[in-house]
Amino acid sequence: MAKLTIDGKQIEVPDGTRLFDACHEARGEALPHFCYHPDLSIAGVCRLCQVEVEGMPKLTIACNTTVRDDMVVHTRNERVQTAVKQILEMHLINHPVDCPICDQAGECGLQDQYMDYGLYESEIEMGDKVNKEKAQVIGPHVILDKERCVLCSRCVRFCEEITKTGELGIYNRGDRAEIGTAPGVELDNNYSLNTVDICPVGALTSRDFRFQKRVWMLRATPSICPGCATGCNVRVDHEGGRVYRLKPRRNDDVNGPWMCDSGRMIYKDVHAEGRLGSALVRRDGGLESLSWADARRELLGMLKPGSVAFALADPSLSLEELVLFRRLARRLAGEVQIAGGVAGDGLGEGDEILLSSDRRPNRHALSWLDLAEVAPADLAAALEGARGTVLVLGGDPVAHLEVAAALKGVRLVYLGTRHNATAAAADLVIPLSMWPEKDALWANKQGRIQRGQRAVAAPGDAREDWRLLVDMLGHAGDDLDLAGLPALRRFVAQELGLADEDSLNRLPAAGLVPDVAVASPGSAPTGGE
Amino acid sequence: MSYKGLPEVVTTRKRSFWESAYFVEIFKGLVVTGRHVLKNLRHTDEMPTIQYPDQKRDYGPRFRGRHRLTQRDDGSPKCVACQMCSTVCPADCIEIEAAEHPNPAIEKFPETFTIDLLRCVYCGLCEEACPCDAIRMDTGIYEIAADTREAFIVDKEFLLNNDKDGTL
Repeated sequence: MAKLTIDGKQIEVPDGTRLFDACHEARGEALPHFCYHPDLSIAGVCRLCQVEVEGMPKLTIACNTTVRDDMVVHTRNERVQTAVKQILEMHLINHPVDCPICDQAGECGLQDQYMDYGLYESEIEMGDKVNKEKAQVIGPHVILDKERCVLCSRCVRFCEEITKTGELGIYNRGDRAEIGTAPGVELDNNYSLNTVDICPVGALTSRDFRFQKRVWMLRATPSICPGCATGCNVRVDHEGGRVYRLKPRRNDDVNGPWMCDSGRMIYKDVHAEGRLGSALVRRDGGLESLSWADARRELLGMLKPGSVAFALADPSLSLEELVLFRRLARRLAGEVQIAGGVAGDGLGEGDEILLSSDRRPNRHALSWLDLAEVAPADLAAALEGARGTVLVLGGDPVAHLEVAAALKGVRLVYLGTRHNATAAAADLVIPLSMWPEKDALWANKQGRIQRGQRAVAAPGDAREDWRLLVDMLGHAGDDLDLAGLPALRRFVAQELGLADEDSLNRLPAAGLVPDVAVASPGSAPTGGE
Repeated sequence: MSYKGLPEVVTTRKRSFWESAYFVEIFKGLVVTGRHVLKNLRHTDEMPTIQYPDQKRDYGPRFRGRHRLTQRDDGSPKCVACQMCSTVCPADCIEIEAAEHPNPAIEKFPETFTIDLLRCVYCGLCEEACPCDAIRMDTGIYEIAADTREAFIVDKEFLLNNDKDGTL
């Protein structure tokens, strides 16, 4: 441990700590900085985090200094403040100050730090600035404005160290220096939008979010990306019932500060064409929309115990829904004719950074719940010649041709979110909420249970899906009584056999990796302490 | 109990006999009215009433009337859709949708720019917030009338060509 004094405050930090982090701890806020990023190497190019260390003749940059015992550091004295002011002025020499049309405005390091350390009287004439290329498209997701760049090199280091693709570089020298790609090279790796996140100014901005909304109008809701089994922690930025973008939230046990581009684009499904807004029922061969009250009556009428030939739930459902589904399905269909998703659905190509080849957010929970996946051929065989109702929650099993061919004798009830092959083949379609529209738990591939909160309202008649399932359970003769989310989470904990019933109501920030016995038996009375 | 030492009952001044007699006081009042009638008839130019709408009062140049969007030389709006005005607007009456301008030197422009004149409180904060002098309230128009609520929601084209006519 090293004992040092920062701004008159004594603190003790482990040996080898960066002075930057020690200052952050002592001051309660970070030093002004552009180039420092805890997950990237030290560049020391922005010179903003300069501090005075007693005994050193010149100011030193805190990000590239390691703490020493008995160090005496000043971060707020006049000498440091003057230096920061002047460095900031230097960064602004060729900055176009086009904040009104810059998407970064509102979350811009240059703006924030200028409010704290600005000179306020620029010594540069607008006409003297070096003009560079603006609004240059450098990849499928990223747009570059070279004038706004402060050459902190975060994006360059990201592409070299995290994705190891090295598309970006700094070209030319002096005030002609600029970020760019080599001729013919595009910034098109699947993590390119992280460069937009770490860009402290508006040099790299997202093409998808471009001019959509000023950032200060957005409201942020913490959530979990459902794009794959990694379960990256995200922030859903939304306004007026519409999701505008996803940003990663730091969780060092899952995704660090990053997330992939394909995950970021997943919010588009929420508002895309083809969302189910109202219930549909098959009449005279075609699907007609139905009021919610009629749809509920129809649904409950079709789900009598013994009448259900097969029940299938996709692992894109939340943990709560899967637990309730299992209970409902066991009551209606019996243990044998239940499956958790179609084997092979939702598999893609993964990578070594974050993206998992499993594109379902909750497949891990299937093993906890003893819900086996069913191969399309087996599902078709089970449905061939079956009589009664087939209950499908989420997914799109009818997209498999053999399944579609085996549907002759059954009535298909589909609870889902989209107009797809299953909805088209169904006799009754009930709309469900999508992930940002519900408060839900997700078990990622590590078996880590994480909570995503509700950001926006579901369109049309879609409800809180778990309440619908409890309603169906009640109608099927189950006296399960769940008043609200805490009660639901206690029930889920019981079903998983967790020692602490309330553990799912008190999830740690990093999520909870519960000690679930594989294939917990479930069913209310047996859920043991 | 009296409140803070005040008497409980407030007594009024007793009217004198002539005051109670009613007609005398009425007559005295009519004399005052008649005096003003005669004075105004003799000096019509000093009367404070103006013959609106034939006559209109002059307002100062800083009077905040109906908004307009200023134009570039080519007639397109100066506005760059930074949404400072809609952010600062206390009545939340400005709605802007931004889009990519074909000219890269301009970059951003308002695809739509709508003001709900019924919500507007004419505070002028939008003018003050605008970094481009794109919105002004210097038209001097204060007669804002229409038959439907929808007509008060004015769009970009209207605001760009805001004439001195009061009709919407």
